[in-house]
Amino acid sequence: MTDVIKSEPFILNIGPQHPSTHGVFRIKATVDGEKVLDAEMVMGYLHRSMEKLAEERTYTQNIPFTDRTDYLSSMSNNLGYVLAVEKLAEIAVPARGDAIRVIMAELQRLASHCMAVGAFANDTGAWQTPVMWCFREREKILDIFEVTSGARLTCNYMRIGGVAFDLRPQFEPMVRKILQEFPPFIEQMEELLSGNEIFISRTRGVGVLSPEMATNASLSGPMLRGSGIAWDLRKADPYCGYEQYDFDIPIGYQGDSFDRFIVRLEEMRQSLKIIQQALDGLPSGPHSTQVPLALRPPKGEAYARIESPRGELGYYLVSDEGPSPYRFHIRPPSFINLSALREMTVGGTLADAIVVLGSIDIVVGEIDR
Amino acid sequence: MAATFLASDNWYDLRDLANLSDAILEGADKILPFGVVYVLAALIGFVASFLIFVLPSQLYVGVYGERKIIGRMQSRYGPNRVGPFGLLQPVADALKLLTKEALTPTRSDRVVMYIAPILFVAPAVLLFAVIPFGPRMVFADVPVSLLYFMAITSLPVISMFMAGWSANNKYSLFGAMRVVAMAISYEVPLVTALLAAVIITSNPVSNGLSLQGMVLWADEFKIWVAFVSPLAFVIYFICVSAELNRTPTDIAEAESEIVAGYLTEYSGMKWGLFYGMDIGYALAASAFAATVFLGGWSMFGLDKFIPPWLLLVVKTHLFYMLFIWTRGTLPRLRIDQLMAFAWKFMLPVALANLLLVATERMLWVDAFDSKQAMLYVFMIVNIAAAVGIVYVWARFLGYDPDSQPTKARLVKEAGGYVPVGREVR
Amino acid sequence: MTHQLTGAEAAALAEAAVPGSVAKTTETACYLKPEHLVATFEALKTSPDADLVHLTNTCGVDFWDHLEVVYHIQSFVKNHIALYKVEVWDREKPEVPSVVPVYHGAWMQENETYDLYGIRFTGHPNLYRILLWEGYPGWPLRKDFLSMPGGLQPGLGEFAGVARRQEPPMKVLE
Repeated sequence: MTDVIKSEPFILNIGPQHPSTHGVFRIKATVDGEKVLDAEMVMGYLHRSMEKLAEERTYTQNIPFTDRTDYLSSMSNNLGYVLAVEKLAEIAVPARGDAIRVIMAELQRLASHCMAVGAFANDTGAWQTPVMWCFREREKILDIFEVTSGARLTCNYMRIGGVAFDLRPQFEPMVRKILQEFPPFIEQMEELLSGNEIFISRTRGVGVLSPEMATNASLSGPMLRGSGIAWDLRKADPYCGYEQYDFDIPIGYQGDSFDRFIVRLEEMRQSLKIIQQALDGLPSGPHSTQVPLALRPPKGEAYARIESPRGELGYYLVSDEGPSPYRFHIRPPSFINLSALREMTVGGTLADAIVVLGSIDIVVGEIDR
Repeated sequence: MAATFLASDNWYDLRDLANLSDAILEGADKILPFGVVYVLAALIGFVASFLIFVLPSQLYVGVYGERKIIGRMQSRYGPNRVGPFGLLQPVADALKLLTKEALTPTRSDRVVMYIAPILFVAPAVLLFAVIPFGPRMVFADVPVSLLYFMAITSLPVISMFMAGWSANNKYSLFGAMRVVAMAISYEVPLVTALLAAVIITSNPVSNGLSLQGMVLWADEFKIWVAFVSPLAFVIYFICVSAELNRTPTDIAEAESEIVAGYLTEYSGMKWGLFYGMDIGYALAASAFAATVFLGGWSMFGLDKFIPPWLLLVVKTHLFYMLFIWTRGTLPRLRIDQLMAFAWKFMLPVALANLLLVATERMLWVDAFDSKQAMLYVFMIVNIAAAVGIVYVWARFLGYDPDSQPTKARLVKEAGGYVPVGREVR
Repeated sequence: MTHQLTGAEAAALAEAAVPGSVAKTTETACYLKPEHLVATFEALKTSPDADLVHLTNTCGVDFWDHLEVVYHIQSFVKNHIALYKVEVWDREKPEVPSVVPVYHGAWMQENETYDLYGIRFTGHPNLYRILLWEGYPGWPLRKDFLSMPGGLQPGLGEFAGVARRQEPPMKVLE
């Protein structure tokens, strides 16, 4: 008989098949009872080597690949890629094309944040009700995508020099309906979750990231803003004419999971504001410029980035005057946001680790590419 | 006691099902050898309570109703494919489970893993023996039926632990450990809360430990224990949902954390037994709550016209709706928060409630003429006291909902770190 | 609008931080010497003029004869982004000092670059193949990685009737 009760740490594999890893992602957690001592990420189960594949295809043919990286926000991924190509080849986009891109990107942000917020609530244990509500609202946005681009999930809508098709006549009433229906829904979510004592106690103070840590770990998007850093590429480095729209950057207080959650909710409101302005001032004219099918950008490199729902989505392209990119690199926000996962989970409990992972809002298609 | 009841003694009068069983037993006593009739009585009790009440309730309230109601809460339809309105869905589910292979992992403890679901089911059957369905409709009118109930409800914890341990899976082990930790913690405030109900209802004729006695007390004074001591009722609900692993306290099978807890490795009907009997225990706890706190089969004199067993069934199912409601609404607590909630919040509050109720009981015994009126006074006092105790103790523990911001700050311009309170709009 | 620092501006910042750290300068990028890489980044991160605190993007590029590692670093307060590069000429055993001690965010990206290009980052706390499995033959994003059996070359050689890149030195890795 010893006086001390000894416990032995053991390794718990969270994933690759686990309800809360949002895909095939694995955390090798060393746990001592409920306490997490170490967390190692194992990924690559979904690796398709898109960066290699893209070197074999023309610039236009690569657009569908970008759909399949972050499959929850394909419009944003299309947009980031075509912006990079346009920067490389110095192609100007007509005003209407830019406005349509902005509307689509913001609708995509709404859809993606719906998913993020709902899945996060599911991770805290709210048994499917928030996620179902979010799916209900997301469905309406996917309907708009279907009307506009013909696809719901992998839209493949953006083209180099503009967008693929002009808007359909049904488009505007549908978006106006979204603008009507979304604010009550966001309020509902706030009532259900941000005012909920259990939800607050589960997420407040969990996975705290100081602003220094968030910066140093190269985080972006709601992760960075949750820590109180006002950094939004739509404001800081406007693309597609974001500088004409009036909106605010929501930021958090102390950088915990709850802050990231409320930042996402508030971002949905700001997105609605942008959509409203873009829709009201939708210019007429062509939706796209003519771009040669076999585009051969001049020799050089370009790094274009956009504020995707998950953070800074960058595309780094190197051209050698060939018909296909010489180097095609994606800066995947949810991959890099994971670099702070270990710091946030170690020392907490197992349940906290799940909440932290949910608050990062990962998409495994983007992590593994 | 049955004199106030309008039902006749005819065996076909279904307002009191005891007539029917009496008739059967009397008839059987004439033709069967001595002693067999007791076995027959036990069988009748089992059939009546379990096969007629619990099993259909499990299927149609626990499975179908829960899925349907939660479906409506989540703005979807719920089961609607099998049969009219999906009514045959639970049957189809059960058939599917029966035909499914019950896998056993190679390195598991096969014997224990096999026994665990059986041990889980057995106590659930025993529980309904003491629930009074009517003035004469209680299978075993044990004088200490409340104690009996509490003793039996602590049994399934062992089989849950067996299930978790034997599967040789780390997630199962987590679930098992959590189940045990939680059951031990929540038993304490649960019993303390029940003690308040016992103190109120105990009288010289029947001690407060008899469930039938509690119902008769409620029938006599035309008031429910839940009104006299609301705090005890609330504590009972929270504790029992923790013990039954219902959301928001379902950490033992927390899906998003430890997959399915102690059920991770179970499949087929072995899993089905756990799943079904989880609902069975929830129904038993609901029936118990309806009996102790909600007046059981009595309903302010209405039980003279409506069959009392129907009243109990309705109350049971309504109480069960509370479980469904919380499950569809609330997130889950973390285990340390759950433990802290039990020991730091519920236990002191339950003790304070006990003190209050005991004091009132002392005053109440001395009052001879105004017993009924005093109960109403107690009701008002206790409801006010419940709010006060909870508020004061929560504030004492540092609960301050208004100090926490629930909306993000807004800034106009991008830049570096913005300290709290320095937003420039 | 984020100010994209030209190569000369980035080089000036790097020279001011650590003299002699710049290898060469192009129009858009500044090439740093590998031996001064970590010290330069450390100085750039803390110097108020540069304030390059956020390592946005790190990746490798293969140019047949040499490999490059690309660093996009930005500042929030000053709102500018700089492009630094490091050249590695040893294709057999490429090594670049790791910047993880300065930017924690390079942790994942350097692992990815190691995984796909085989560039060893010396000083990285835990360098492993993050996307592929240990023992995967070759480094897939290198241009001489033969993805298909039969010695097929990567790239669109036949596209639009124009010959593509120069003939690569044929080599089967490992």
